[in-house]
Amino acid sequence: MASAAADTGEDTAMIARRWLTEYRAATPATDMLYAAGLDDPAWNAALEELAERAGDDLTAAREKAQRHAEDIGTGFRIAGEGEERPWPLSPVPLLIEKREWQRIAEGIAQRADLLEAILADSYGEQNLVRGGSLPATLLTGSPYFLRPMMGLEPPGGCHLHFVAFDLCRGPAGEWRVLADHLRAPAGAGYALENRLAIARMLGGLQGRLNVERHAPFFAAFREGIAARCKRSDPRIGLLTPGRLNPSYAEQAHLARYLGFLLVEGGDLAVLDDRVYLRTIAGLKRVDALWRRVDPRMIDPLAFDSHSAIGVPGLIDAMAQGEVVIANSPGAGMLEAPAFAAFLPRVCARLTGESLKLANIATWWCGQPRECAEVAGDLDNMVIAPAFGVATNVLSDAMLGSAMPPETRAALIADLERRPQDYVGQEVVRLSTMPVVSDGRLEARPFTLRVFAARGADGSWHVMPGGFAQIGEKPDARAAVMGAGNWSADVVIHGGDPVAPVTLLQPSDTTQLRRNPGTLPSRVADNLFWLGRYLERGEARLGVIRALLGHSISADSGAALAADTVGRLVGLVVEAGAAPQPDSLGRAHLTRFAEAAMDATDGWYSIRAINRQARAIGAISRDRLSADMIRLLDAPYPTRGSALDRAGSLQRRYSALAGLSSEHMARTDAWRFHDLGRRVERAVATVSALLALGDPSATSDDLSALLDLADSQISYRQRYLTGIARVPVLDLIALDPGNPRGIAFQVAAIAAHLEALPRLSDDGLAEPQQALARELAAMVATAQAASFGRDELFAIDNKLADLSNAVARRYFLHGSEPLRAAGLVVG
Amino acid sequence: MRYAIRHITRFDYAERVGFARCNLRLKPIHWSGQELHDYRLTVQPGGSTAPARAEAGLANVVRLVVTQPVQSLTIESSCTITVDRPVPMPAPDDPTLAQIAADARASRDAGPASPASYLFPSPLIPLDRDIAAWCAQELDPSRGALDAAIALACRIQNEFAFDPTATLVDTPPREAFLKRGGVCQDFAQIMISGLRAAGLPAAYASGYLRTLPPPASRGWSERTPPMHGCCCGAVPSAAGSASIRPTASGWRATMSSSRSAATIPTSPRSTASCWDRVRRTCTYRWMSNRWSRVRPLHSPPAAPM
Repeated sequence: MASAAADTGEDTAMIARRWLTEYRAATPATDMLYAAGLDDPAWNAALEELAERAGDDLTAAREKAQRHAEDIGTGFRIAGEGEERPWPLSPVPLLIEKREWQRIAEGIAQRADLLEAILADSYGEQNLVRGGSLPATLLTGSPYFLRPMMGLEPPGGCHLHFVAFDLCRGPAGEWRVLADHLRAPAGAGYALENRLAIARMLGGLQGRLNVERHAPFFAAFREGIAARCKRSDPRIGLLTPGRLNPSYAEQAHLARYLGFLLVEGGDLAVLDDRVYLRTIAGLKRVDALWRRVDPRMIDPLAFDSHSAIGVPGLIDAMAQGEVVIANSPGAGMLEAPAFAAFLPRVCARLTGESLKLANIATWWCGQPRECAEVAGDLDNMVIAPAFGVATNVLSDAMLGSAMPPETRAALIADLERRPQDYVGQEVVRLSTMPVVSDGRLEARPFTLRVFAARGADGSWHVMPGGFAQIGEKPDARAAVMGAGNWSADVVIHGGDPVAPVTLLQPSDTTQLRRNPGTLPSRVADNLFWLGRYLERGEARLGVIRALLGHSISADSGAALAADTVGRLVGLVVEAGAAPQPDSLGRAHLTRFAEAAMDATDGWYSIRAINRQARAIGAISRDRLSADMIRLLDAPYPTRGSALDRAGSLQRRYSALAGLSSEHMARTDAWRFHDLGRRVERAVATVSALLALGDPSATSDDLSALLDLADSQISYRQRYLTGIARVPVLDLIALDPGNPRGIAFQVAAIAAHLEALPRLSDDGLAEPQQALARELAAMVATAQAASFGRDELFAIDNKLADLSNAVARRYFLHGSEPLRAAGLVVG
Repeated sequence: MRYAIRHITRFDYAERVGFARCNLRLKPIHWSGQELHDYRLTVQPGGSTAPARAEAGLANVVRLVVTQPVQSLTIESSCTITVDRPVPMPAPDDPTLAQIAADARASRDAGPASPASYLFPSPLIPLDRDIAAWCAQELDPSRGALDAAIALACRIQNEFAFDPTATLVDTPPREAFLKRGGVCQDFAQIMISGLRAAGLPAAYASGYLRTLPPPASRGWSERTPPMHGCCCGAVPSAAGSASIRPTASGWRATMSSSRSAATIPTSPRSTASCWDRVRRTCTYRWMSNRWSRVRPLHSPPAAPM
């Protein structure tokens, strides 16, 4: 029935009409949809589009929206930990007409300018405090008032670059500000993602409603930061606290979307008051940072000395005008709810205008009269900590009427001692919007998060839309809604048709380039080790599968000789994957293989390797394709026999190898990833040769060796007679044409290291290059007939030296001084 | 009285440090009743020092950068200073605690010397309900400010044991409070927590007290109601009789195991700046991006404080 209904436009219109009528019958007049009227073309269009996709089944529509959102999110969300969307996407967008939005946007721009002016004064001359417009305690009470910022002229001339506000719509349709977000405004990434998902789902809406797009807003933000920098082609970083931060995924996504480098504190260094990024090509200037790190953690020399995620000296660099930090540390003090009580007056004093977007009514108890008013009217107010941090009595905002008697008594006592810690706020009633619940549309209260960014000309650009957070329960009091539990896309519609703009620039103005930019050392490190872990897993799985009797050898049949099995077991034990089995009997061997796969208690099992690869995948979202991330995120197989699971994992790793060789652009990032793979494969092959390639090797040993090196077919194509040791050795160790052999890996390693950037132009080989050349020469001149343990040990040692040399030269760790002799600064 | 102060801090690193940065807060600050005649800072084996730019507190902060690899670092700060302050004595016309609290709330000065800067909990001194209740007995709002502060300091001094083994440099006030023991830093922090919980401005200061036997640096709490031109510091310290000595700016009550003649603040700790244990720890950094806090092996001694 549903699909039949979706077939004709008339039916979808009828369904939409019925939804609307039913919804309006049970909804208060303060609702967004109700207020727009039954015949509002925009809401009718949105619901028709919904009916077009899901027929009369709203639950299906809801699930579809979530699926789209999840699908879009996969590319940049971390699996396993904190991957749940904090607010699942509702299929019904919030529609706001362009003229109404224009008024909101003007109010936002005015507010952002006002906050900027207050910050400039508070960290400058403090005329507002001296003149009595702002009590001094309003500043000093916030943990985000950072005294070291006093007198510091922010580079580029402004404190605020990107801000967000939570708005609510009151019963009479008026929009007001609930909260300011100035420290690290989160959610812009979700707004982007919601828009993508809704655009996929309600594809026709764009054209029907002339929906305003998000891309110009982000372009304006990027150009705005760039315009504040000293250099004309600035390097801009997004400073993240790291992958343990709950919004890391959003940060990675935004960095990629905006073309910013995703950097952590450890990636940066300050030298002579300039900020540098540690890259594989030496230190590179950084001109601006969009910080998502708590301002108090950003520089251990200026603020919290315990911070391990900051950049020492960053504030000095900022004071010298050498780095733009968006937003200025210290901006967060204006987030304190107590400021709302003073903004109308300060606005009038500074601009001569009244606030275009009002605050919710707020009384700061630090003043005797206001305190008495709040204390006398507790039941009709929300009581909240004045500075956003827990007080002696309250950890969060609370309805006075819902306060338990003992809390109330404690509050009244604390209002005597520390009244400055509290504000009273009016009990805000929120307007509602439709969501899908139990298969029909129901009204739920919502708040709206709006974003604004400073453009190149210094004026504010407001993101057309943003995202709505929707409450779970029908109770429309803001104080009980909490953070909400659904989100909805916010669509600004009407006006002229919107030209399709994206962040893509017109091609004739774009400088062509084929190098994606300098690779940060940390990223190089991660990709190198991702390559090593994946290759290690693949090699280890090969041994386990050989042990479990999966051999394609036609000569030796299914079962290998006991000696060979013993040597294979030795390879696994030596790697620390599992303890030596009691015997080589079938039962013990199976248990042994299972342990080597699954052990968690400190053994270096496949599961442990898989976890490490996955962890690196999680922090390399911005460098890997979505398909690679999906494979890395896929859960560790737990069902089926050890052999089945080993097979499925090995296929997964092979797929990853294929993707990295066929899908990754040939950048330095790819080189490091492939370098890791080559080093690991060479090491694994050396181990296999040491275990199975002795002069005393049996034909079973040699056959297993060919299996491990994936070279059975190559061998058979070359040699029609049976298996013999020297030809096997030549094929696996010395034949440069065998892509599984040592010679091939060594040549590839040398080629990668030659191609990577050098620090100096003196033409001399760097240590890792010299080692690679030596290694390649060693393998190239070796003779199969005389090739034995000594040569293998020498290669093994050289490989270890090489890996260390690569780490020393390119990665962050190691004890080299910050600026080694000859290090390029540029 | 004229004093010559020599203060040596030595770091011994576990391994050679390629690149070290420290903030030094050693030079006595401008403070009423004390006059600095000369000051010298030397660092062995060497390094470059410059006044920290991004600092707007009361303390004199010097940024030390050591670029050559070092295994140990010796920082010597020396000065000559004259201290001349009248003895603070409680008087009937002292402002009451209620007045001081109200004045601080209404302050029109957000500067580092303003009481408004010391009303709120700071990272190392959170408000604590138990400490607040315990201190509240001495902090009746109608009581004279100095009288109350001295009473609270005496009570801490009487009921807490001086015990250098009870606490560490980063022990939170609550823990020392529950143990009823610690050193001067703990007592000062407990007192500050109690004063702030009562809505009174209280700052942490550190510097030198003249004591017999030989000197050690101390933390004490300062209440600064500058509206009344009165500055009052009280140091609850080890057992001994309370003695009150003059300070130029008003009242300073000092209690210690021995007579003390001078308190020379070198660095007040403000609400906004999280720097702590100024002379006792130094933050250093080496190349592997690791931060570590060390306790110098030398000066000032871990005990007695």
